[in-house]
Amino acid sequence: MTFDLVKILQSKREFRQRLASRSIEEKLAMLDALRERALAIRPARSAAQSNSLHERPPPCRAEKKIRDDNE
Amino acid sequence: MNIQETIKAINKMRADGVIERYAIGGAVGATFYLEPLATLDVDVFISLQLEPGKLIANPQPIFDYLKARGGQIEGEYIIVAGWPVQFLPVAGGLQEEALAQAVEKDVAGAPVRVFTAEHLAAIALQTGRAKDKARLLQFIEAGALDPERFQSIVSRHILQEAWNRFEQQFLKDRP
Repeated sequence: MTFDLVKILQSKREFRQRLASRSIEEKLAMLDALRERALAIRPARSAAQSNSLHERPPPCRAEKKIRDDNE
Repeated sequence: MNIQETIKAINKMRADGVIERYAIGGAVGATFYLEPLATLDVDVFISLQLEPGKLIANPQPIFDYLKARGGQIEGEYIIVAGWPVQFLPVAGGLQEEALAQAVEKDVAGAPVRVFTAEHLAAIALQTGRAKDKARLLQFIEAGALDPERFQSIVSRHILQEAWNRFEQQFLKDRP
């Protein structure tokens, strides 16, 4: 554990490099997991950010459909 | 939800003649070169043939094919193996070149066509949203680009000014 920002940034870079060097099969499985997580947290996050400045996301009706189905 | 199944379905579409050349772009394409990038959809770039006498290509055969195999259409997306897929006809010289020069990768024994890292980076530069700039930075920081190849794409597609601005904004005084 360190509070040295240089070391922290270096460690983050190394972690990203390790992830990037994984097999594509592993990385695609991670995409599946990331998408599930993003869908799970997105409705709550969107509501919280409704008054904040943010880039307009691309329309994704599929996502809305999945949300509607879950509700 | 399984993106490998989505890729298999896209390959089947090609084998069945529903689409001709295709290549995966966007965040899923970038994941072939970088760490996994969270995304909600799969961008599949295709070349659509114009029907005789028509000025606009018709994507309906793609939707009909996938619908007949259980795909659900949601707006501009079709859900394939749990993933929303967007079929994007290539528009403009850069995307056309990216499709023509896409490379074949292997995913668990299945072939998949993906834009090159340099074309993905150039398209990000051209698109220019905040998330595209972030992605371009990731390509650069990961050392995933062949600088000469990238620079030649930038020059060929009149992106030099955009690249100069990007360099000034993000790469000047970089450690």
